Amino acid sequence: MARFVTVAKADSIQPGQMIKVEIDNFPIAVANVEGTFHAFDDTCTHEDCSLADGELVRTAVVCPCHFAEFDVRNGAVLVAPATVPLKVYPVRVQGNDLQVEF
Amino acid sequence: MASASTIAIVGASLTGQSAAATLREEGFDGRVVLVGAEPQLPYDRPPLSKNYLRGGMPFEKTLLRPPEFYRERQIETRLGTTVVRVDVEKRALQLDGGDRLEFDNVLIATGGRNRRFPIPGLDLPGVYDLRTVADADRIRDAIARGGRAVVVGMGFIGAEVAASMRQCGLEVTAIEPFKTPLYRALGEDIGLVVEGLHRDHGVALILGDAVAAFEGKGRVERVVTRDGRRIECALAVFGLGIEPVTELVAGTGVRVDNGIVVDDHCRTNVPGVFAAGDVANHYHPVCGRQMRVEHWQNGIKQGAAAARSMLGRGQPYDEVHWFWSDQYDANIQYAGFHAAWDAVVVRGSLAERKFLAFYMAEGRVESVVAVNQGRDLRRTLPIIKARVAIDPARLADPNVDLRTLAPSERPA
Repeated sequence: MARFVTVAKADSIQPGQMIKVEIDNFPIAVANVEGTFHAFDDTCTHEDCSLADGELVRTAVVCPCHFAEFDVRNGAVLVAPATVPLKVYPVRVQGNDLQVEF
Repeated sequence: MASASTIAIVGASLTGQSAAATLREEGFDGRVVLVGAEPQLPYDRPPLSKNYLRGGMPFEKTLLRPPEFYRERQIETRLGTTVVRVDVEKRALQLDGGDRLEFDNVLIATGGRNRRFPIPGLDLPGVYDLRTVADADRIRDAIARGGRAVVVGMGFIGAEVAASMRQCGLEVTAIEPFKTPLYRALGEDIGLVVEGLHRDHGVALILGDAVAAFEGKGRVERVVTRDGRRIECALAVFGLGIEPVTELVAGTGVRVDNGIVVDDHCRTNVPGVFAAGDVANHYHPVCGRQMRVEHWQNGIKQGAAAARSMLGRGQPYDEVHWFWSDQYDANIQYAGFHAAWDAVVVRGSLAERKFLAFYMAEGRVESVVAVNQGRDLRRTLPIIKARVAIDPARLADPNVDLRTLAPSERPA
């Protein structure tokens, strides 16, 4: 059953920043794009690299290992070598709790 | 662009498919024909020395595009077909089955083939080299049979194959004529780091020695070195670099010099004939000189640049060259153009294998190597492109954000 899980304090992630969290031992990345939060699988679909260790460029996350890029809003592949889209998750803020539906 | 026109692309790999896809993205509605010597649709080669070689990836996952991609975009493919000659006067490709294919523009993206040296026993069964998926399949079968493997040449392919075979549980001995692995590409300081990486993972490294012969009765049984070492083995893999595949333009007037010579728009000296990827010795406007590189990123980006150039919408191709190599848990990346350097500035820890190394010439950052620091390497690309002197103390200081070091871009 999907439910909203609190993963961080909303004010702990500045605009332009990403963090890596775990839900049920599963790595999820959360990005703050100009005040809007986006959650997605932390593991790149190309190889097993952590996207939160990469770069957030506006609405794109760039994998640190091979520079594949995804749109954090919908998971779409923007730049190869990735070919498989990234899974994204609904996010909400309750008070100062940042919650991801998982 | 008239609908009647035909663009032929010779080479159905990373560069060729990138060019074909770009032609359609740019709205070209003529005929696009992708001719490839291998029987497969374009596939990705980097996994061949890594995940695919270790058996962790099915072939289908290496395809750069699904089969329907070509159908939907009306990109014709002629696979398993070698272009014997480009008939420049009559604007036609002469194919190995005797067919001819007429074109208005042609892109040569034939890439390279592995260098072979006249080493006795090189043709013995059990001695392999790696370029194609068929090569990788043969090595996989040999890995499955087990035994000691000898890797000849610790350049990037040799180093990756050595790592993959260790990860598959084989005993591996590697022979490299230079004093460290990757010495020619990265120099001694970083070469020593890569040497430590392989020794820590159990590779027996023989440096400063070279193969004299492969020996065995009907199959390789040992490798004999110049210094007289004899290494018993069940298989051997050599990685001694590639040479560009250019014979299809021999004698046609298309200029060949370490590959097919092109300008910064991928144009050869013959109108209507273009080249891109590993085969293209291209003029690089950032460096102000010709260069030929064998990188994945150049393959994909230069293929796209050539496509736009063929449509008359070309821009000077000035990408900062970049590549990666994954060995064990080390993600090694390289960006830039160094031919020679006068200093190496390190940011991070060589011992922990987490660092950037900046190769400096006259105060400028010519190139950068990163180990497990991809984000910072990416932030270095504008610094390399700027070609201005950068304070080495700030490069070395991990508290300085690299994004603040590049001069801000001039307004367009």
